[in-house]
Amino acid sequence: MILNPVDQAVISQGLIAAAREMGVKLVRSAYSPILREASDGSAAILDPAGNVVAQAELIPMQLGPISATFAPCARLFPPDQLVEGDFYINNDPYNGGQHLPDVFIFTPIFFSGRLVGFTASVAHHLDLGGGAAGMNVDATDLYQEGLIFPPSKYNLKHDWHGGPFERLVRANIRVPQQTIGDFNAQFAANAVGALRVKELCAKFGPETVAAAMEELLAYSERRMRAAIAAAPDGVYVGEDALDDDGVSETPLRVRAAVTIRGDQVEVDFAGTCDQVRTTLNCPFASTVAAALSCVKAVLTSPDIPFNEGSKRPITIKAPYGSMLNPKPPAPVRARMLSAYRAFDAVMRALAQAVPEKAIAGGFDTTESICLSHLGPSGYRIYLEIFGGGYGAGIANDGCDAVDNALSNCSNIPVEAMELEYDFFRVREYGLRPDSGGAGRHRGGLGLIRRFEILKEGVHLQTYSDRFLIAPQGIAGGEPGGFARTRIERGNERIDLRSKLSLALRQGDLLVAETGGGAGHGAADGRDPTLVAADLADGLLSPTEAARRYGFKTAAE
Amino acid sequence: MRVGIEVGGTFTDLVAIDGDRVLIGKVPSTPAAPDRGALDSLAAASIDLARVRDLVHGSTVATNAILERKGARLAFLVTEGFRDLLLLQRHDRKRIYDLFYQKPRPVVARRDTFTVAERMDAEGRALVPLDAAAEVQRLAPAIEAGGYHAIAILFLNSYANPAHEEALAAALERRFPHLFITCSTEVTREFREYERASTVTLSAYVQPVIDSYLARFADALGDRGFTGRFSVMQSNGGRMPAAGMAKNAITSLFSGPAAGVIGAVHQAGRSGYRNLITFDMGGTSTDVCLVRDGQPDLSTETEVDGLPIRTPVLDIVTVGAGGGSIVWVDDGGMLRIGPRSAGADPGPACYGRGGTEPTVTDAHLIRGSMRADAFLGGRMRIQPAAAERAFQGLASRFAQSLPQIADSAVRVADAAIVRAIQIVSTERGRDPRDFVLVPFGGAGPLHAARVAEELGIVTVAVPPHAGVISAFGLLAADDTQYETLTRKIVVGDGTAEIVREQYAAMRGRMLGAFRELGIAAAPRCGLTLAMRFVGQAFEVPVTLAEGEIERLDSGDLERRFIAAHHRVFAFGEASQGTSEIVSFRLGAASPPPSVPILAVAYDGPAVTAETRIFDRGAWRPARLLARGHCRVGHVVAGPALIEDATSTTYVPPGWRARGDSCDNLFMTRAE
Repeated sequence: MILNPVDQAVISQGLIAAAREMGVKLVRSAYSPILREASDGSAAILDPAGNVVAQAELIPMQLGPISATFAPCARLFPPDQLVEGDFYINNDPYNGGQHLPDVFIFTPIFFSGRLVGFTASVAHHLDLGGGAAGMNVDATDLYQEGLIFPPSKYNLKHDWHGGPFERLVRANIRVPQQTIGDFNAQFAANAVGALRVKELCAKFGPETVAAAMEELLAYSERRMRAAIAAAPDGVYVGEDALDDDGVSETPLRVRAAVTIRGDQVEVDFAGTCDQVRTTLNCPFASTVAAALSCVKAVLTSPDIPFNEGSKRPITIKAPYGSMLNPKPPAPVRARMLSAYRAFDAVMRALAQAVPEKAIAGGFDTTESICLSHLGPSGYRIYLEIFGGGYGAGIANDGCDAVDNALSNCSNIPVEAMELEYDFFRVREYGLRPDSGGAGRHRGGLGLIRRFEILKEGVHLQTYSDRFLIAPQGIAGGEPGGFARTRIERGNERIDLRSKLSLALRQGDLLVAETGGGAGHGAADGRDPTLVAADLADGLLSPTEAARRYGFKTAAE
Repeated sequence: MRVGIEVGGTFTDLVAIDGDRVLIGKVPSTPAAPDRGALDSLAAASIDLARVRDLVHGSTVATNAILERKGARLAFLVTEGFRDLLLLQRHDRKRIYDLFYQKPRPVVARRDTFTVAERMDAEGRALVPLDAAAEVQRLAPAIEAGGYHAIAILFLNSYANPAHEEALAAALERRFPHLFITCSTEVTREFREYERASTVTLSAYVQPVIDSYLARFADALGDRGFTGRFSVMQSNGGRMPAAGMAKNAITSLFSGPAAGVIGAVHQAGRSGYRNLITFDMGGTSTDVCLVRDGQPDLSTETEVDGLPIRTPVLDIVTVGAGGGSIVWVDDGGMLRIGPRSAGADPGPACYGRGGTEPTVTDAHLIRGSMRADAFLGGRMRIQPAAAERAFQGLASRFAQSLPQIADSAVRVADAAIVRAIQIVSTERGRDPRDFVLVPFGGAGPLHAARVAEELGIVTVAVPPHAGVISAFGLLAADDTQYETLTRKIVVGDGTAEIVREQYAAMRGRMLGAFRELGIAAAPRCGLTLAMRFVGQAFEVPVTLAEGEIERLDSGDLERRFIAAHHRVFAFGEASQGTSEIVSFRLGAASPPPSVPILAVAYDGPAVTAETRIFDRGAWRPARLLARGHCRVGHVVAGPALIEDATSTTYVPPGWRARGDSCDNLFMTRAE
């Protein structure tokens, strides 16, 4: 079926708008702060075969491999046997999932009794049980990380809303009111998306909508191929490393060989370190998401709708048993950290192919801080993730204190936190002067957060990185500043490792400082008025202005 | 005589109404000094200001001050530990795959931000007491050295208790009586510190600019003999006596689109229509708004230049599809419209001023839905050949004829407008088919019928003088003010009583404020409760009219909330939890003593001509009429074009248009 350009444009925009609306409503009807304030969730519309056609642009990491998360569900429970009210659910890292908190739910869309597609939503759930509240950085296998939903099929009417599946889930999690509320927000978002697709079918006919879906995939594929073809052919290799696995001191190396040939790209992570004992293993779906996001961000214009079609020209490989394609039952909770190094290695490789489109190394770490407390009325769990400075570009300073490229979580407003939690308080939240790497364009600044612990029995779980290995600059730009975390206990100052769990005491100050991005170009090329502006704003100290840029202040 | 003057980016529009005489004016805007354009428009229309008893003004002064960063020199005072709120923002990126992303630039620099020792908790209890005198003493040298005109204050959790903000403001006022000082809680009393900080800084930033602009303009009017009432339009759809803007400058942002909505609401209301979707299509964009029972929907979430504002504004959605929007094909072969626009300069290719890219206006010219002789009532020279040249490339790209590709372009523009209307209707849980479409702006009536068709809307009401309806809206607007207050109440027994008490207290304050501003008529008040299920963070509005508040009971309130929530979120069976009220918003509106009539002079030539229009794959013969010919009861069967000096209405095949006794032109689809 060949569509006229008007119907194609209208249906494509309608599908993209429906996915966007799902994303907005998922967040706005959610209950936990990680979803409703930090927006750690995503949504998409799939064709009947499970290809992602359109998505809400929320979290890149959750978006790349949705089709891979769908496929095992459809293999086990064929779509042609689904009925109204059925849904698929999957969070299994070894069956197309990523890490356990990201639960994917797929709802079939029926129009006049015919399956016309699926709506999909994913939310990061605050707690799904497991060995510790919110997260368990000490887990040595997947089972200690929480409830596994293997690819399965349930029915909303029979199994949820007080039914057996909801009861089972509710009994195994620590903050059921928030978590079940967030599941309901996912079901509602899926229902809204399904409604919109049905409206399109009613108006244009299901065959036309199906043809438009197919063409939308082909459209993204064409644009992706055109963008790849514009980059020079060659094999480019990039590397980066995580500081350590949280137990030993060895850096964890990630290597990417990127081959651009015509309108295709292959990314091969051979040479990456073996899987580790701790939670830093990156399930293959997450590795794919990281590599895809980097290739898309670097090579293509941001307005290409990201869908299954845009993935067709890209092949991604990682050796089985490596950190980027682990064997079960290795723990995976902190997979975002290794995913970032995969992203960085690909970025370093592409910087050789298309230097003007790449950026210097950034903080590129999802620093997660989880504080939990068991009080008389049950558990309270706080979880927030922190970005830092972006690497500088060829014509811009890196963005200050913002979530990193694979994610896009908002902060939780301090006022929202204080309405919600009574066992800690935020004393300081600000930028970290001097933390961006010097350069013709400087790296973005990291941030500082100071928590005061108000009760006994508060437990900290955290993972971060870039404490020991700094992000690297481009064209003579200097590395970004390190991250660090410490406890201030009276006059004592306890520096913490980047990945650990710890019992805190009432009165402790937990101080988290995230890292800055690296610079682009040599520092002596920086416009002195920009140096003066940072100095006047207190983002650069007089000492560092003199040391990095030879800048003399009036006082000297 | 009453006069409305609306200053837009390109033109300054004037509507003067004196009894049954309607005067329309359009002069070029003077962006450097917008008041000059406004005075020019008065002079051009030969208006005797001594005879004007009511003058209402809308301008882009506040918006431009922000976009161009030409507001007050501003200092920002914030709770210790939170100096970087405006730079941290919400830690997210608006474009997730943009590696070179930059955050929106706040209107206050870090060097102008100072911290204050104080701290409240979420219940409004002081954790760190404020010593206002000592803090002012400590900050005084920096404030003096900074040469500031204005100060904005935001303290953490002040929405729960504004005492510290108020105490510091009072102490600063004593020490620096010449500075404009604004507390965050004066502007909005809602939680989420970044959004409130952004709102208060924007407000303080534009306040001195608006004050001096209005003072200068009022003086100039006075010099020309004006002694009447001088009011200013607000983004909430109401006006305010100029004196009322002394604490409310932020409400003058985006007043132009709001004025258009009000004009359209009033004019459609004359014919008895109160459930409307308005759409204003101009040169660069289209603004749409949904109106229920004569009341435009409000939103408390808007932004300017990427910076959030949390004061109630009309819920207007804008898409980058206007007459000047560029028609193009992307590298994947998709036909696209905008958001790039040829703007006023060079303008569409057919203007012959150097534009070579095809625009929506060029498409209309090619397919015959705008005539070369009809631009600006025939006062503008148009080059159809240039429009055709501009579309040549796209025509060959899609293997279509020129009229075919022009028709496709118009239909893609229609689709963009349809999308915007779906955002304010279906996404908010409203069925567009329950509404009448009211198009205005130069190009609105050209697209309206086809847009209506796409949405299943059966009635379109085209107001008279559709190109200047915003200036008329100024005269139709009520004096309006809103007060918002955060007060969390879990719904249960006795909630209705609390709502009534709260309403009475807020209403009492509001009546006082109206009296103080010299507004004679007591305002009509209404209450909107922001509600949610306990545990959620975003609210759904539940609106109560004056009479409903007296009869309200808790069960009733809960049912209304659940219905509203379900309409938006499709939560279904999950809608079982406890609900709560988060905040109260009182709206007060006092209508003008009378609204003048925007009449059409029915003196158009009685002759009708023939023309032809390419629509849906074929050239069709069409009638051509003047709007002034479409008297009451006159029925025109489509296809037809109906022209007046400020816009053209297209009646497609299968539609008919009919003039009514209230000067509206109704289009309905022949079933």
